Amino acid sequence: MKIGVFIPELIRHLFRTPATVDYPFKKLEVPKSFRGSPYLQPELCIVCRACERDCPAEAIEINTVKEEEKIFSLVIYNDRCIHCAQCVDSCPTKAMQMDEKFEISNFNRHNLKMDWEFVRAAVKPKAENKS
Amino acid sequence: MATVNTLIYLIIYPGLLFIFLYSTFVEWYDRKLYARLQNRMGPTHTGPSGLLQPIADFFKLMAKEDITPERADKTMFAALPPFGLAIVSTAMLLLPVWNYSLEQSSLTSFNGDIIVLLYLLSLPTFIFFLAGWSSTNLFSTIGGARVLTMLFGYEVPLFLAVLSPAVLADSWRLAEIAAFYRQQPALALVNLLGFIIALICVQAKLERTPFDIPHAETEIVGGTFTEYSGKKLAVFRLMLDVEMVVAAGLIATVFLGGFPGGPILGLINFIIKTLLVVFFLSLIRATTSRIRVDQVVSFAWKYLAPLAVLQLLIVIIVKGLIS
Amino acid sequence: MNFQIPIGPQHPALKEPIGLRITVEGEIIRDADIRLGYNHRGIEKLAEQKTWIQNVYLTERICGICSHSHTTCYVQGVEKLMELETPKRGLYIRMLISELERIHSHLLWLGVAGHEAGFDSFFMYVWRDREIVMDILETISGNRVHYAINTIGGVRRDLDELQVKRILDSLEVLRRRSQYYLNLGTTEPSFVARLARVGYLSREDALSLCAVGPTLRASGVPMDVRKDDPYAAYDEVPFEVCTAGTCDVLGRTVVRIKELFQSYNIIEYLMKNLPTGPIAVRAPRRAKPNEVVSRYEAPRGENLHYIKSNGSDKPERLKVRAPTLGNYAATIKMLKNGFIADVPLIFAAIDPCICCAERAVALIDARTGQEKIMSLKSLKELSLKVSPTTTRKREIEWPL
Repeated sequence: MKIGVFIPELIRHLFRTPATVDYPFKKLEVPKSFRGSPYLQPELCIVCRACERDCPAEAIEINTVKEEEKIFSLVIYNDRCIHCAQCVDSCPTKAMQMDEKFEISNFNRHNLKMDWEFVRAAVKPKAENKS
Repeated sequence: MATVNTLIYLIIYPGLLFIFLYSTFVEWYDRKLYARLQNRMGPTHTGPSGLLQPIADFFKLMAKEDITPERADKTMFAALPPFGLAIVSTAMLLLPVWNYSLEQSSLTSFNGDIIVLLYLLSLPTFIFFLAGWSSTNLFSTIGGARVLTMLFGYEVPLFLAVLSPAVLADSWRLAEIAAFYRQQPALALVNLLGFIIALICVQAKLERTPFDIPHAETEIVGGTFTEYSGKKLAVFRLMLDVEMVVAAGLIATVFLGGFPGGPILGLINFIIKTLLVVFFLSLIRATTSRIRVDQVVSFAWKYLAPLAVLQLLIVIIVKGLIS
Repeated sequence: MNFQIPIGPQHPALKEPIGLRITVEGEIIRDADIRLGYNHRGIEKLAEQKTWIQNVYLTERICGICSHSHTTCYVQGVEKLMELETPKRGLYIRMLISELERIHSHLLWLGVAGHEAGFDSFFMYVWRDREIVMDILETISGNRVHYAINTIGGVRRDLDELQVKRILDSLEVLRRRSQYYLNLGTTEPSFVARLARVGYLSREDALSLCAVGPTLRASGVPMDVRKDDPYAAYDEVPFEVCTAGTCDVLGRTVVRIKELFQSYNIIEYLMKNLPTGPIAVRAPRRAKPNEVVSRYEAPRGENLHYIKSNGSDKPERLKVRAPTLGNYAATIKMLKNGFIADVPLIFAAIDPCICCAERAVALIDARTGQEKIMSLKSLKELSLKVSPTTTRKREIEWPL
């Protein structure tokens, strides 16, 4: 038992810069591998629907717009997304990627929806493997 | 002219406006210091370095909804906060900073004003007890009971510690006590023990860690203030700030030689010395954890009271040696 | 004069909703009663409608602080069901994350204990140093709370040389700071006065009331799943099971700080002996009909998952027994004859995770002890039958 064991530590920190950051005015950087929100690179998507099947939050929806012209639409409901990046892992062509945004709150959940309409990419996983 | 003077004296300086501004400044100082001791930033946004944050908090609380519990004693519940603020503001006027002269006694500086000041500082404790009791909430009632239990612990050591310098100075008037120690600064060292005891007791009186038991957030929610909201809570918070200034002023007067040098130098002295005392109070707050109410009483009677008596004995012996 | 204080479901000392009804006599507690069910989310039922891989992320969300514990426990079970051999490197990374999680959880607890005792400076400093661990976890896994590093058959992200070096460097700082907190926590008089001889739980009581984790170890019982039934590669790693003999909140604090040092040693060993090779194997989408029980030593104690498969791509049943549930019975024992002021400390000392423990609701008749299951329809009928006739009785009367 000692009285005031904490005082030296406290006084030492009195003249140091604080460990906290003045947040909304100054921001810390997130690491490179940060899992933000998922986004699609439509030129790579082959519509295998692996992301739609594996998404635990059912936040990805793939619809057929015009069957004969191979036009599809992919919707990411970011309000439901749990940012687990399973879609990135499931994607065979790396069409799904994660960004590094962390301030994505919004007053309306529908504003978080993202959608793409695109022509299905040609299947070429074997050619990629060789090169 | 005299009426205008009195009005200025009561409302602007050193009356309500000055008390409001200075006590909020002291709250900011305390918060900032506490934050810096913990390696945090503290208030930063409102005003330069967050200087206006306590005032912003005060006005925000004033604008909030004010709820009175159904079963509470409504008159008492509403009357207590302004009453408490009035008491501590009156006590502020008794500090020998403004409008006093050593030669003749006046309404704000007279023989025995140290007793009146101590009495006025005891009243807020009863205000808190009544506030807890009249709001009829279970947590408030426990808080009120804890306020009184603690009072039995720290009140006697505080009185002994504050009165022993008065015994040495042979006066019951704050201005004279301060003047005595200014003339013989060496004698102020005699009261070092009393100074420490008084700091601890004032910490308990202001209900700050380690003695924040009556409103221990994690135990009994808001304690005495659980049911208070809006304007009443704002006034109570202001009252606690003013009480801190008064208590710091009392310690500075009695132990640190008061505030000499006329209206302007005296004010600067007052600010420096109260901030020094508040620094010690903040340091105690940051260093310790909250103790239990039974531990407060046993600590006060096992250590503080005997030490206060020892201080009184030292003072009596020194007084005998001098004369 | 006895009266009841309701602590919770909303109370500043509780971070999650739980009801503690405390009968007090002055400041002394005579009886305590825990009421659960404020935070039931139906996760087990939901798990039956998700595929094996989706459930990894679902089990992660059982708890925020021990998110890795629940996924690891689940994934180990599923790997056993699917008869997968997880690669060594994958297991080592999984263990690394679980030890980092233990460190962050224990540091968090230490801070919370300081806050509950009104020692806010201690709280701020401990949480500042906890940021080091949080940052490491963020760089490894990409997130601070839900690491999502586990997948069936291994882990999802690999470590590189730079990260290994960073982890080893920060261990130095963490060791020094933990030693400081150990000294501070056991010498600061006002803090020790709050912790010592509070919440006494004897060795016999701890065993008979089935306490788990640091609560049990602080009563002098060296029980740890990592030692008794090693999972992953814990049988290769040298470490000790920390115990304390004081049986009080101070003992639980000391046990947790000592475990921090063990975790630092484990991490150092893991990083120095990190095997090369793949980090995961491909998992099939279906599992053969079977059942499995998986055990895991979470920071709060033993975590247990029971998984049953029926040959489809979804589990038939997932049952979670979170560590906090095992400590509730002991908590009531600890609370009795204490002070009101000690309630938050004693309750916090089991490191409660309430949403972890809220698994199922069963109706038990208080007189006969008979369990029954009610359908939603009959519940509605019952509430309609009860509410129009009886007026709501005030449960707490003004006692004075």
